[in-house]
Amino acid sequence: MQDVQSTQDTVRPKRPLLAWFDVRSRKLGSWAFALNRLTGLGLVLYLFLHLVILSLLLRGEAGWDAFIKLARSPLFLLMDAVLIFGIIYHGLNGIRVGMVGLGYGVRAQRGLFWTLMVIGAALLVASIWLVFTI
Amino acid sequence: MQNATANQRENGAAGGLWLLQVISGALLIAVLGLHMFAHHFVVEGGLRNYQDVLAYVASPLIVAVELVFLIVVTLHAILGLRAILFDLGLSAKAEKTVNIVLTVIGVGAAGYGIFLALALHALAR
Repeated sequence: MQDVQSTQDTVRPKRPLLAWFDVRSRKLGSWAFALNRLTGLGLVLYLFLHLVILSLLLRGEAGWDAFIKLARSPLFLLMDAVLIFGIIYHGLNGIRVGMVGLGYGVRAQRGLFWTLMVIGAALLVASIWLVFTI
Repeated sequence: MQNATANQRENGAAGGLWLLQVISGALLIAVLGLHMFAHHFVVEGGLRNYQDVLAYVASPLIVAVELVFLIVVTLHAILGLRAILFDLGLSAKAEKTVNIVLTVIGVGAAGYGIFLALALHALAR
């Protein structure tokens, strides 16, 4: 499993952005890399959206409590589940990328990836259960 | 020779930013985990109502933790965006522009978040 750390590569793909979506000859590391970046972009968008939503608090009780009512709708809860998937995947895969980049577990990274993904799946199930039950 | 030195300097800077990305990511795992539990998983309905939010942010310690979270997450996000944009193979001039634009966005977002946290803390007191 080889991670694509293209910021440090001397040779860049001709169309680096499109290369993320090129499914030909894909290996696990490429999928992990592409998904890491897609979840990262989604989380950045969410960060800015989160700041905008929190601004509602400055408008007082009516504005915030109306948002809470909307945020408890099934569609929002489903979006929460997608968000949590992004956080868990990006965080756990990030642990692997960081470790491998620092020289730890380079040879064992395939096993490390799947171990982290199993932990992630358990965390995801528990989190989604919490989202829909609390 | 000068080019080699410039390349070494650029690689050193890129390596330093990559390390910063890893360190901020590791910090985020702890702080974001705390944020998710404190803000959502232990709160009935997953979100605090207005009065409960104010009671929560009345504590300076909570505000301090949220500010650390805000700064670390913004730094991590901006460094991530930078890495993605630089991977597009930009010219040196475009890279410089990206650096400036992302710095403005990052400082703006963090600044606004700090203002928001402090304003809510003031409201709560």
